[in-house]
Amino acid sequence: MTTLNQQSEFVPTILDPEALDSRPITLWGLVRRRFFRRKSAMVGLGILGLLILTAIFAPAIAPYHPEQVLIGVEQVRKRQAPCIHLLGCPTDQPQHLMGLDGNVRDQFSRVVYGSRFSLIIGFTTVTFAILVGATLGGLAGFLGGWFDDIVMRIMDVLLAFPSLLLAIAIVAVLGPGLINALLAIGIVSIPAYARVVRASVLMVKEMDYVSASRALGAAPLSLLYNRILPNALTPLIVQGTLGIASAILDAAALSFLGLGAQPPTPEWGSMLGTERNQVFTAPHLVFYPGLAIMLTVLAFNLLGDGLRDALDPRLAHVS
Amino acid sequence: MKRNLFVLLSLLVIASVLTACGGAPATATEAPPVVTEPPTEEPATEEPTEAATEAPATEAPSTYEGMSVAAENCDYGGKISSIEATDQFTVVFNLCKPDPAFLAKVAFTPFGIQPSEYIESTGGTGEILERPIGTGPYVLESWARGDSITYTRFDDYWGEPAIAETAVLRWGTEGAARLLELQSGTVDLITNVSPDDFETVSSDPNLQLITDPNPNVFYLGMTNTHPPFDNPMVRQAVAMGIDRQRIVDNFYPAGSEVAQYFTPCSIPNGCEGDPWYDFDPEAARALLAEAGFPDGFETSIYYRDVFRVYLPEPGLVAVELQTQLRDNLGIDAEVVVMESGEFIAESGAGNLAGFHLLGWGADYPHVTNFLDFHFGEANTQFGNSYPEIYEHLQEASQIGDVAEAAPLYANANNAVREQVPMVPIAHGVSADAALASLQGVHERPFGAYVFALLDPGDDTLVVMQNAEPISLYCADETDGESLTACQQVVETLYDYELDSGETVPELATSCEPNEDTTVWTCTLREGVKFHDGSDFDANDVVASWAAGIDAENPNHVGNTGTFFYYEYLWDSFINPAPQ
Amino acid sequence: MLQYITRRILLAVPVLFGILLVTFILGRLIPGDPCTAALGEHATAEACERFAKEFGLDQPILVQLGIYMGNILRGDFGESIRYSRPVTLILIERLPMTIELSTLALILALLIGIPAGIIAAVRHNSATDVVTMVGANVGVSMPVFWLGLMMAYLFAIVLKDTPFWLPPSGRLTAGLTATPFYEHYGWQVEPGPGWFYLLEFLSNFYIFNSIVTFNFTVLKDAITHLILPALALCTIPMAIIARMTRSSVLEVLGMDYVRTARAKGLRERIVVIKHAFRNALLPVVTVIGLSLGGLLGGAVLTETVFSLAGVGRILFEAITARDYPVIQSFTIVIATGYVAINLLVDLAYAYLDPRIRLT
Repeated sequence: MTTLNQQSEFVPTILDPEALDSRPITLWGLVRRRFFRRKSAMVGLGILGLLILTAIFAPAIAPYHPEQVLIGVEQVRKRQAPCIHLLGCPTDQPQHLMGLDGNVRDQFSRVVYGSRFSLIIGFTTVTFAILVGATLGGLAGFLGGWFDDIVMRIMDVLLAFPSLLLAIAIVAVLGPGLINALLAIGIVSIPAYARVVRASVLMVKEMDYVSASRALGAAPLSLLYNRILPNALTPLIVQGTLGIASAILDAAALSFLGLGAQPPTPEWGSMLGTERNQVFTAPHLVFYPGLAIMLTVLAFNLLGDGLRDALDPRLAHVS
Repeated sequence: MKRNLFVLLSLLVIASVLTACGGAPATATEAPPVVTEPPTEEPATEEPTEAATEAPATEAPSTYEGMSVAAENCDYGGKISSIEATDQFTVVFNLCKPDPAFLAKVAFTPFGIQPSEYIESTGGTGEILERPIGTGPYVLESWARGDSITYTRFDDYWGEPAIAETAVLRWGTEGAARLLELQSGTVDLITNVSPDDFETVSSDPNLQLITDPNPNVFYLGMTNTHPPFDNPMVRQAVAMGIDRQRIVDNFYPAGSEVAQYFTPCSIPNGCEGDPWYDFDPEAARALLAEAGFPDGFETSIYYRDVFRVYLPEPGLVAVELQTQLRDNLGIDAEVVVMESGEFIAESGAGNLAGFHLLGWGADYPHVTNFLDFHFGEANTQFGNSYPEIYEHLQEASQIGDVAEAAPLYANANNAVREQVPMVPIAHGVSADAALASLQGVHERPFGAYVFALLDPGDDTLVVMQNAEPISLYCADETDGESLTACQQVVETLYDYELDSGETVPELATSCEPNEDTTVWTCTLREGVKFHDGSDFDANDVVASWAAGIDAENPNHVGNTGTFFYYEYLWDSFINPAPQ
Repeated sequence: MLQYITRRILLAVPVLFGILLVTFILGRLIPGDPCTAALGEHATAEACERFAKEFGLDQPILVQLGIYMGNILRGDFGESIRYSRPVTLILIERLPMTIELSTLALILALLIGIPAGIIAAVRHNSATDVVTMVGANVGVSMPVFWLGLMMAYLFAIVLKDTPFWLPPSGRLTAGLTATPFYEHYGWQVEPGPGWFYLLEFLSNFYIFNSIVTFNFTVLKDAITHLILPALALCTIPMAIIARMTRSSVLEVLGMDYVRTARAKGLRERIVVIKHAFRNALLPVVTVIGLSLGGLLGGAVLTETVFSLAGVGRILFEAITARDYPVIQSFTIVIATGYVAINLLVDLAYAYLDPRIRLT
């Protein structure tokens, strides 16, 4: 049974006490306010902030170098369980918050440094895909004609493949490795952005203010940059944030299958993949990298959701 | 709309043009069918080869029309001169060169015997790939592709009937998933337990750990056509600069050993000669400096991320070697993982400029399987082959007596030690696991588990291996998963002992060599029946062997037509295709 | 309508042609060849030369492309290099498994996702909303293989000997066979292309097959084996569907006609279910089509973890083994299916929403 306070949402904005503020109401101000009201988006933002700080200050946070093999340096065994002094592990044993991995390296340090890789993976693949996709989609929508047809057919072809399988095929051709995996994921992500930008361009192209500008003699390219592309920006931002999330997951999947980051790189997916058969004997080696991936991807997803809700004008009545 | 139509039309035109061009030569990849009369059981005919040797007529009251297959002469390069069925229960193998390892090879599953009529009727392909007919204790009931193979007990088996009435072979690629199935009790036996699960299994009272003593070796290969590995001092420095004990202690399951020779010592003559260098980093560095690299050099370590008993954790060992090379010798090696097929192709051709990680598991219990394959004259894996090594090997492979050949193999091993084409590191141990309630478990160095001996306590035995068989016509397969599946159904002339590489009679009651082991006369077991009810006799042996060894036999089709072990173990096919 | 359909199908042709080309090129670009993939350490140069000759792999690449195109247009998918069996047969054996798994996963995703989305929308910005949305996002954020392994451990080991035990892998318990229904009823069918293929295809849907043969043991067994993989697989589309439902319901709840309904004094529940719900579901229909692509990709990992013989897994194995006919034909079939489903979704959307005119 829903409560009656639903009614309060439908009070017109003009009676919104905040609107009676003397500060001018700007579009971005409204967006910002809507965004910060969404609690789940705040959670996402918080996690992301933590992640970025971890990535930047990794050398300070991590007690060991992520590639340092500890055989002979400490009295420890391969794949040893975590030893946390605060939780009762005897102090004469070296502390390893997340235990040791198969090469006798401190897993906590590797997870901490792994944040750098995940962020890099997410941002580079999406940036690459956006740059290529937005250019193609924007030009296709703007120029129309045969160029539009061919580009969109190529995008259809790319989209018809299940993305993971296409990425696997591309990596198989290029050879395993992190750079090649990034390229593969980037290529596979291009169609989504091309479509988004093309749709925005098509929509805006016909709008009155664009026709007006054109009638006033504005050059086509300046139209593209000044009027059309900024409108594509909002769905692109949303799509991009969500895209970072799926890029990180895809990279983890590729590494799991042995095709992504190669040893000794401390990438979370590769850490999961190497140790996946130890899920019952050394669950800490599977749990923590998986948890890290999950939290990171969660953060981006929540952020993307929050942005989408905040930026979607149709949801304007929802605070 | 018009635009789209134009695009469509042009594409359709291109498509039809390609079809027209591509359609004509159709599927012209099959060899033109060789027309011969199918030889049948009683009025048996001879194989249509160049110089078919006439079956020597005996004075026996009933003349048996025995089949035979023969080579024109012994110049073709292979070991087999002819295989003849001299009477209903005798088969004679005439060899071009002495082969002391004859019995060890003959016991290998690809040389299994199926009914000659069945081979004829299937043409050596099609149904025979999924339904082998043999003489073994189990009959193949069905193969649910992707899921499982079901066997039922053969009640007319010539030996001890199988204990479990039904046997099911399943597979799962993930070690963790296989162990899960075992722990939940849905399977009785799993193969290839992850090394890290050994402890879990041994400490669980409901499970038993079965160590698998199959001889194997893991080595660090070097290619002498790529500098600085062309310098023997560099190779020798590497030989001394690796702490192999540390690798075995940390990355191999308990029971594994450091390799002192290339061949494991369980193989006769494997460990003749001097053992490998001790770990001596100072001497190694000094030698490397003498060779002109006081500060080491840059190179790569190539490997493929595939689990093998000789290398259960490739990624970890690669990084470990990288660390050791850097710390002990100052060699800065980049770890490069390659895709499996590519890695094999490149390493085999000797194209990898750097170290490569590879190994070998024994096919049959003879030292030639290890040394000759790798250090023979024709092998390019390590660059230019070493005459210092292969000259000894060529001499030794002619000698049948183990003791007589021993000093020659000592020389060969010493040459390996001196030239260092590779650094042998470990003999890995693998293990399988079973429910503690499974009786009749055996640890077999050669050959697969004999399902017939396993007693699960109920009437269905469930075994889980790590992959699906490729096909069930084992003459044309090389993977262990196919061989395991075939072995329950199809038998060979001899078989391996349960606990060693010694051979025992199976379908043959004896195979006697002549003095220089060039002629082997096999007397067959009588009264044996195939699963389809027909009787086993000498023509079945010849037909089965002919389909594999004779490249012009109409039944030499198989799955991919490779018949790898026929070519490799007997040096060549009879009537090979012109190169 | 008919014109629209024909036009869409015609437009799909160049797309499929492009897919064929891309698959062929990609497949051949992968270094290595089927021979070394098959023989491993044992590969020798002579053996591989003969191998290449036998499978027509030594002919110029354009000739191979031409031959392949010609065969596809005649419906001949060729023979697998690794297994020497018609690819069509392999497809018939594997496809039903993947379809069953994906369908079950989709159904679960809809059953959980839609109500979750609605609840979150109706109680939006409350604790319930946040928890539901975070939960849905957690579903989409977890690596499927990780989730699969954890769940397998939970249900197969931890819950062993309880009524909640679920088998960790396979399609059926060892020893149980799903007799094809045409065999069960004694129909005589000759093996070979044609009716046999169709009947085999249908009988590989174990759930359908066991219902038709009234074999309820097998039915129960097949379903229990599908639950864990379907659960692991459904988390991604479920999260997407929940989010989509939520935003769609939110949007609809703000519409004028809903306000009117409320103003009329109708109870909230009726407002939501009768007036908002149906319209809100429309965008969800599009999401269903999109999810199928994700399901197929996730299927590779799920099929690996749970040892299921599906299309995703064998495609991955074929790539590793360089089994070109299988790679090419399977990809074409998957892509065609994808294109067809998208077309159906577009049609359904147009049918359900009278505002959309198909141009």
